[in-house]
Parts: sequence; C-alpha cells; structure tokens
Amino acid sequence: MSRPVRDKQRGSSLAVAAVFVIVGYLLASQLESVETNSLAAAANSLRLETLQELYNQETGKTESLEQQILQLQQDLERYRTAASEGSAQGEALRAEVEQLELLAGLTEVSGPGVSVILSDSTAVNTSGDEADYLIHDSDLLTVVNELRSAGAEAVSLNGERLLATSEIRCTGAVVTVNGRQYAAPYVIFAIGDANTLYNALTMRNGVVDVLGQWKIKVQINASEELTIPQYRGTIEHQYARPADQLGEEEGVG
Amino acid sequence: MIEFIGLLVGLTLGFVYPLHFPDSMTLYVGVALLGALDSALGGVRSRLKGEFHLSIFLSGTVGNALIAVFLTWLGEKMGIPMYLCAVVAFGTRMFQNFAEIRRELLTSKPKRDKIKQDIEAQGEADTK
Repeated sequence: MSRPVRDKQRGSSLAVAAVFVIVGYLLASQLESVETNSLAAAANSLRLETLQELYNQETGKTESLEQQILQLQQDLERYRTAASEGSAQGEALRAEVEQLELLAGLTEVSGPGVSVILSDSTAVNTSGDEADYLIHDSDLLTVVNELRSAGAEAVSLNGERLLATSEIRCTGAVVTVNGRQYAAPYVIFAIGDANTLYNALTMRNGVVDVLGQWKIKVQINASEELTIPQYRGTIEHQYARPADQLGEEEGVG
Repeated sequence: MIEFIGLLVGLTLGFVYPLHFPDSMTLYVGVALLGALDSALGGVRSRLKGEFHLSIFLSGTVGNALIAVFLTWLGEKMGIPMYLCAVVAFGTRMFQNFAEIRRELLTSKPKRDKIKQDIEAQGEADTK
C-alpha cells in the first residue's frame, strides 16, 4: 500500500471513530435524561395522589370534629339548664348567655329576612377583561355590608354563618369564608326587617344596580321564615383578653 | 474495530459526565442522535466497500442531524409529528447499512480465501 492511501485510510477511520464517540456520548446522555425526566414525572403524579389522600383524610377528620363540637354544645346546653334550674339568679344568667350566643352566632336562628342569590355574569364579554364579569370578594362584602347597614341581625353565606371575625376573601376561583371555600353561585341569607333589607339592596345606584351593569345576576327574595345555621367551628382568642384583666396581671394602668 | 472503541469511549464519557437535557429537548436530541447513528453506520459501510470520502461523510453526518432537528421543529409548529419521517428514513437506512456491512464482512473472507487458493493453484501450475 502506498503512503497517501494509508494516510487517507487512517483519516477516515479516525473520522468514523470520532462520530461514534459523539453518538455514544449523546446516546448515554439521552438515556440518562429520559430516565431522570420520566422519574420526575412519576414522582409528581405520585405526590399528587398522596396529597389527594391526605386531603381526603383531613376532610374526614374535620367532619368528625364538627360532629363532636355539635355534641359537646348540646351537652353544654343540658348542663346549663340543669344548673340554672330553681334559682332566679341562675335563670337570669342563662337568659343572658342565650342572648350573647345569639349575638355571637353560636345558635341556629330563624326569622323573617331576605335571601340573595348572586351568579356569575352570562353576558358576552365586550370589555375584554374576564374578571369584570365574575363575582369578587369585594362584591360579596358590599352586599353583606349593605345588609348589615340595613339592620340584618344574622347573616350567612352559602350556609356559613358570618361572625364578627369572619373573613370573605378571594382565593383563586373561590371565596373563603370562615376558612372554608365556596364557589358561585353565592347564596346570602339575612335575618332582619325584610322590607328594609330588600330596599337597601335595590336602591338606585345601590349594589344590585352596579352589579347589574356587568349582567351579574342578583336575585333577591323576601321571606317570612329563614333559618340561619350556627357557626360550625371553634372560637379561639389567642391574643385578645379583657383589658381590665390585662391591667391586673401585668400591673399596667 | 476502532468504531467499537469509539462508541464505548463515548458511552463511558456520557454515563460518567452526562449532559442533562430538559424534557422538551429530548425529542430533538433523540432525532439528531438517530441521524448521527445512521451516518456513522454509513461511514462504516463505505469504508468496508472502499468508497469512503471524508467530506461526504462529515457533511452527511452534520447535515442529516440538522435537517432531522429542523423537521421536528417544523412539525411541532405545524401540529404534525414530522419527526416520524426522520425516524422512518433513518431507521430504514440503518437496516440497509447493516445488511450491506454484514454481507461485506461475511463474503470478504471466503473471497480472500478463494483468491489465495487461485494464486497457489497458479503457482503450482507454474512450477510443473
């Protein structure tokens, strides 16, 4: 074999070998990448399943705890009745407790009032902003505020009693009330003078008028007899204490 | 032989220091890899047949991989899985290349033996 032919032979074998090195390197990297990526995807779906299971467990737990609260409240009621029987002073105390419970939202209440049903707009979107056509926490707050201003004594949103400490807050596509999430349509019950409540909502330039501009459907019904459930959670005061007690304990005037 | 060594070196390098491709890139890398593998096998074949040209080999390797990646990208934009045409074309070619390599390797040894035999027979005939 002559010299140039040999050189050419060597060059060609080196070129082919170099391409094989690249092919091998890419192949190994690709195998690793595909494996890692599919593992990550599998881990994601596994995680989702685990979270779903945890969520279900917690929901079940919440339900049983709510049952327990109801049971304990009934027990408490029985003890109170038993304790106050006989003495006039006890009777007066019991009446006061009942009054306060009514105010605090710890008892189921019924009476005349209005029910307000708010549903998201069905209008064709012309302004371009989808958010204008949905009900927001601010809309609900306006309605509730208007009802309270008109003398509503007890208010509930989708069956959730609104307390002095209740929040109405937008959390994504839903609204959180008392830590629970509710979606549209929103049903607000308010107990009070039905006529006053109705007129407060439907007055000109009032809340219903404004929402109507976006074609958000607001349906108001006056009712002779509405029942508003009691608050289903527990009330804890971690920071607030009566002020005179604080003064005594810490010696602050 | 040197091709095998090259492949092994590449694989070892890749497993020891792997490049990580994100999920969206694996299809492109896979198609480019298929093109490169096809060209590499084509190189082996042409070397065995003695028709190897370095410029053709290198331009084919790079060009095939680039066109495969481009077609995949185009297919993604158009909503058609165009990478399939690269897969089919390179896959078919790989089988063809392999068949030719096989034939070349299997037939060359008997052929050489035959020639040797002929030469010997010729020599014997000459001495007589």
